[in-house]
Amino acid sequence: MSQAQIETLDAATSTLILSLHSELYPREVLYAAAYVFLDRAYVLLDQDAARYVVHVRGRQPLDAADLRALAGEFENELLAQALRLQVVKANQRIIEDITTLAIAGAAGGVGAEEFGAIETDAAADGTDAGFQSATDDGMDFLKDPQGIALPWEPGKKDS
Amino acid sequence: MGLATATTVKLHAALYTEAAISEAAAVFADFASFAVHRDGTHYVVEVTGIKDDVEGDVVGEFCNFALANTAARTKNNQG
Repeated sequence: MSQAQIETLDAATSTLILSLHSELYPREVLYAAAYVFLDRAYVLLDQDAARYVVHVRGRQPLDAADLRALAGEFENELLAQALRLQVVKANQRIIEDITTLAIAGAAGGVGAEEFGAIETDAAADGTDAGFQSATDDGMDFLKDPQGIALPWEPGKKDS
Repeated sequence: MGLATATTVKLHAALYTEAAISEAAAVFADFASFAVHRDGTHYVVEVTGIKDDVEGDVVGEFCNFALANTAARTKNNQG
């Protein structure tokens, strides 16, 4: 028995019934493949012993050739979704790590704990947290070795 | 506006969740009446009072919605 086979094909009602071995395709793969066809067809899933039975009825009138093509597309989609699931499972850890890093970066970066400590210090001594973090980054704008921050107005020149 | 046909749909309990079917029934309640009950391995959905002035296939759309809803719920539960 083949992996997926056309059980019936009726061009008069644009209906196709496929069956496939349930051990070959996980249920989530079947869902994902069926989902792709929802905009083109009405899909009803059923199960009979060890086989999934997929009822497909075209939203538009379909002849026999169209229905056979649809069956082929469904089988291809099953394979594509099965591979996609396998890749996701194989790379699950990497995906989680990258997502965690991205969220941590968006939420304040690697120094989030340090930033929390800085805020606490700033609150304790009354200084501004933004200022404090700037000085910690070596960006102390109060140091002016080239004298560019000196007032140029005559009245304030010596202040 | 007339009330036309009635039909029965059987959805396998291993492939469709009751919550997804109930939500689909609620969503399509304006277009037909749905009665859902469990019969062995299947949920049996009695669809009555399908309004004949509705464009498209109410039962087909109901089944698609229940399927998509089940798939989404299954994915969320796994994720």
